[in-house]
Amino acid sequence: MSAAAQHPNITLYTLAQVEKVEGYIGNFEVTIRLKARYVDMKKCTGCGICETKCPTKVVSEFDQGLGKRPAIYKPFPQAVPNKPVIDAANCRKLKEGKCGVCAKVCPTGAINYEDQDQIITEKVGAIVMATGFDLIDWTKYYGEYGGGKYPDVITGLQFERLVNASGPTGGKIKRPSDGKVPETVVFIKCVSSRDDTKGKAYCSRACCMYTAKHAIQVKEKLPNCDVYVFYMDVRTPGKAYDEFFERAKKAGAKYIRGRVSKIYQQGDKYIVKGEDTLVGQNVQVEADLVVLANAMVPDRDAIKTAQIVGFSYDKDGFYTEAHPKLQPVETNTGGVFLAGCCQGPKDIPDTVAQASAAAAKVIMLLSKDELIANPMIAFVNTELCSGCGLCTKICPYRAITLETITERVHGHEIKRDVASVNSGLCQGCGACTAECRSGAINLKGFTNSQILAEVEAACR
Amino acid sequence: MKRIGVFLCHCGTNIGGVVDIAKVAEEVAKLPNVVTVQENKYSCSEPGQESILKGIKEHNLDRVVIAACSPRMHENTFRGVLERAGLNPYLLEMVNVREHNSWVHANEPEKATQKSIDLIRKAVFKVAKLEPLQPSKIGITKKALVIGGGIAGIQAALDIADAGHQVILVEREATIGGKMAMLDKTFPTLDCSA
Repeated sequence: MSAAAQHPNITLYTLAQVEKVEGYIGNFEVTIRLKARYVDMKKCTGCGICETKCPTKVVSEFDQGLGKRPAIYKPFPQAVPNKPVIDAANCRKLKEGKCGVCAKVCPTGAINYEDQDQIITEKVGAIVMATGFDLIDWTKYYGEYGGGKYPDVITGLQFERLVNASGPTGGKIKRPSDGKVPETVVFIKCVSSRDDTKGKAYCSRACCMYTAKHAIQVKEKLPNCDVYVFYMDVRTPGKAYDEFFERAKKAGAKYIRGRVSKIYQQGDKYIVKGEDTLVGQNVQVEADLVVLANAMVPDRDAIKTAQIVGFSYDKDGFYTEAHPKLQPVETNTGGVFLAGCCQGPKDIPDTVAQASAAAAKVIMLLSKDELIANPMIAFVNTELCSGCGLCTKICPYRAITLETITERVHGHEIKRDVASVNSGLCQGCGACTAECRSGAINLKGFTNSQILAEVEAACR
Repeated sequence: MKRIGVFLCHCGTNIGGVVDIAKVAEEVAKLPNVVTVQENKYSCSEPGQESILKGIKEHNLDRVVIAACSPRMHENTFRGVLERAGLNPYLLEMVNVREHNSWVHANEPEKATQKSIDLIRKAVFKVAKLEPLQPSKIGITKKALVIGGGIAGIQAALDIADAGHQVILVEREATIGGKMAMLDKTFPTLDCSA
């Protein structure tokens, strides 16, 4: 993380969102909104006094709801950049005009309550999409697991915060409800994955391995704790992966092949009712903590971002690669590449490999001085064009605009609008040629006369 | 008069195992402007390409029809053959007689054979109308944008930056690191993630 922030060739914008992308491969113009941080990054030294003095405490998103943070905060101790931000929705000064403690204690005068969003534009030649994933909101689909009403039925990502030394418990595995150290932990895999009636049909790919890791971590930290893992299949195809799964079993994790049908509270225990399909019996475990491996889904802004940048995504919202085998990190839009879970669920080694592949494609592109453009694109016969603009609306690549031309007609100079095709943006799809009422727009390699020759041949 | 060559690919048994290629060749040879019809076991292979190249030169062809697989994979391969033979690479029509024909009509070889003839006839009429095309050149801004500052975005940004190009890394949250920064240890080596 810090290597990226320190690299002389990388400009880092945090609290930033891409709002508009215009142009085409090699020549994009990008509009970026830099949100107000209310902290002057140049003056702030990251000392952290403001965080300790802020009187407001709200739920920490970074700790997945398991901890609290102040309204002026760094999401975690190693945050990059290592400077705090004010959460405007929860800051008393910004909401009610009262408080202002952080400004009073700041030794460098870095707090700026008047800070505003800024809009900047940048010109780039290539774009890498790396918008990542979210975990599916399992509470909508699994009423039988309590639908979110049990505080000790948590997700894998919440468990990560529980075992993390910088997490809300300092790395001690404790129940969120009462801080009790669990004696029995149950893990349930494929929660909303591989089940299109209750979520997603696909496999989320990382859960078998991270659940094995969680099981090992519990047994390392709490050797006397019982660990049960309910699974449909164990999918560990990867270098040293199956060995890792064996290690989890050797560490003492008990794997039960079957689904969990119900979780309910009894005293301070959670009764986990399921099935062991290998022995054909119902099983019941009294658990203190239940950890769900819920499905990976695209980031909440993934579809909006794809529409802004202008490329396609699948029915689940994952970004579509140009070819599943031969162009796995390219999109159908020239100059836009994919890295990581925005393209589909994957683990860290695959994500890193794909990110380097996307980087290699970008480097190949940027190492050239000029690009050869596909010549099979639309062209306009301005004599026939009436300037109606239908083609500008149908074009999925925003490649056609109306431009004003000057002509001499019967000795008079007149101005009129005609369609104009941007050769960098046009992908040669032909939608405009079918839309054009006056036959003024044609696709090179698929002109009306060429297609009619085919029709004539087909009718012979 | 145009001089059109038609090259029929067997694609092993993918096409040749269903379509009666000899019959197709016989029918296609009767079409106007067709100077030569040739067969190849695998047109995309090195010997396949060489035989097309030879055919173009030997018969002084100015237009080429290749009846084979989907153009998605090999249109560029065959455009390269035309270019090497001294032709404009866009004077080529590919006819997809595999995905659009032999694969989907594997149980109806006679109809598949007739469909091949029909599809190739269309291409022969179209190819005669093709004009040479010249690709244009466009400039490049030597800078990249990476959207998302998780492990994927950081890795991509570092690699591009290490190659000497400028990178803009845009992250929605207050810090980079994404989900990876939330993790404790990572499988299968249990090394730390932050």
